[in-house]
Amino acid sequence: MLTTFQGLLSILRKLRSNPDRELRLLLLGLDNAGKTTLLKSLASEDITQVTPTQGFNIKSVQSEGFKLNVWDIGGAKKIRPYWRNYFENTDVLIYVVDSADIKRLDETGRELAELLMEDKLRNVPLLVYANKQDLAQAVTAAEIAEGLGLHNIKDRDWQIQSCIATEGKGVKDGLEWACKSIKKK
Amino acid sequence: MYHYLWSLLFWYFRPLIKWFLHRTTQMCELQRICYGEPAGARRILAVEESLRNSRNPDIKTLVLYLDGVSDRREITTKSERGILEEAIRTVLVAKKINPVAHPDFAKSFGKCVELIWGYRQLCIHVEELRRTAYDADNAEHELMLLKLWNLLMPHEPLEGRVTKQWQDIGFQGDDPKTDFRGMGILGLENLVYFAQEFPNAAKHVLLHSIHPRYGYAFAIVGINLTSMALRLLRDGSAKTHVYNAVKTLPTVRVFHQFYCYLMYEFDRLWIESKPSNMMEFSTIQEKFENSIRILLNNPKTVFRVNISVDNV
Repeated sequence: MLTTFQGLLSILRKLRSNPDRELRLLLLGLDNAGKTTLLKSLASEDITQVTPTQGFNIKSVQSEGFKLNVWDIGGAKKIRPYWRNYFENTDVLIYVVDSADIKRLDETGRELAELLMEDKLRNVPLLVYANKQDLAQAVTAAEIAEGLGLHNIKDRDWQIQSCIATEGKGVKDGLEWACKSIKKK
Repeated sequence: MYHYLWSLLFWYFRPLIKWFLHRTTQMCELQRICYGEPAGARRILAVEESLRNSRNPDIKTLVLYLDGVSDRREITTKSERGILEEAIRTVLVAKKINPVAHPDFAKSFGKCVELIWGYRQLCIHVEELRRTAYDADNAEHELMLLKLWNLLMPHEPLEGRVTKQWQDIGFQGDDPKTDFRGMGILGLENLVYFAQEFPNAAKHVLLHSIHPRYGYAFAIVGINLTSMALRLLRDGSAKTHVYNAVKTLPTVRVFHQFYCYLMYEFDRLWIESKPSNMMEFSTIQEKFENSIRILLNNPKTVFRVNISVDNV
């Protein structure tokens, strides 16, 4: 009798101490950066049949005791004006860069700079994925950080993570950083 | 649980019921289907189920053989006749059917086999096209892309291979090559087929896509609908349509036509829904897919692109 009671108590305690906090992650970046592939890779889904995102995709993943609601918003120029509709209550901003698309490094830098000035994203930790590291033309994560001017960011935590979303390489490491930066808060 | 019990009962009682019906009707299950069910999806789906559930060793071998030839895409207009005759002969012998007394059976059954394994072969073919990535160094691919432009925008010459103009027909940036992604050359072939075979319907849809309030990205939505068409083909939902739509060996044409129907009908639903912006795409696409699945659940369903538009 006593043991049953104790068992019940410990279950209750576990439930209370593990509220499974929900986090809202916002995935942004230019078209063809690899946002949807990254999202699917996080959710362990098939990544070979991705299509360009018209609108947005959302998936929930468990990680480090968090329930992560990841919002992947289309990156086409015409959709970028709608990004702001998704800023509210964002816990971590994830910005994806195609490391092999050197021609558009300026463009992606400008978009990111604009995001960092947004009021609703103030103090929100920033995780940058330097994606497609497997491509021959790809530049390193350090060069991307340099190009985006990440070192000038003073008002928030930031991290750059090189990754290959199609192989799942580096994806989890970035996510771990994101969860840690939330716990610190 | 119920499902398990049902399959257990099915496993034990199916032969019994079949034996009883065989005795009383003097016909085997395949004959009863071919005579009893109306031509098209109902008959073909029933024959397919019967063959797949058969425990007759000869029929099992036949099914394996047909799976093999269709997986290797060996059913052609040339080889088809021999393959079908072989299938019919196997069943006539295994089921002791007298072809003289039942001349219609062979014909009807042969048609079913042609459609069932033609569909399987179609899935393989379409998958090959999907896996072929768009390659800017491949002249054929490039020509097809330019063809799409010329079909949709005949009065507006393209200023260059890489240009902002591509966005006018709904690509994301200045170079469409990255937009095909996981759908590969299949996504492009579908768009070209739509613009070529249903020029008026395609113009009608393209005009809607540049609507100032309800506009959307024509090509990108088109590529997403290729993905939807493929899902329906792969999970077998599209069988109803294919089995009703064609009378001969299904080819990639029937898939393209199915896609054209989806393009046209999706556009209609989109405009009717009066979406506030492009961000509603996933919701409306989901709603659309559900409605198509419901239609495909009806064995009488066959889709036709609204012809009236194409005669205007």
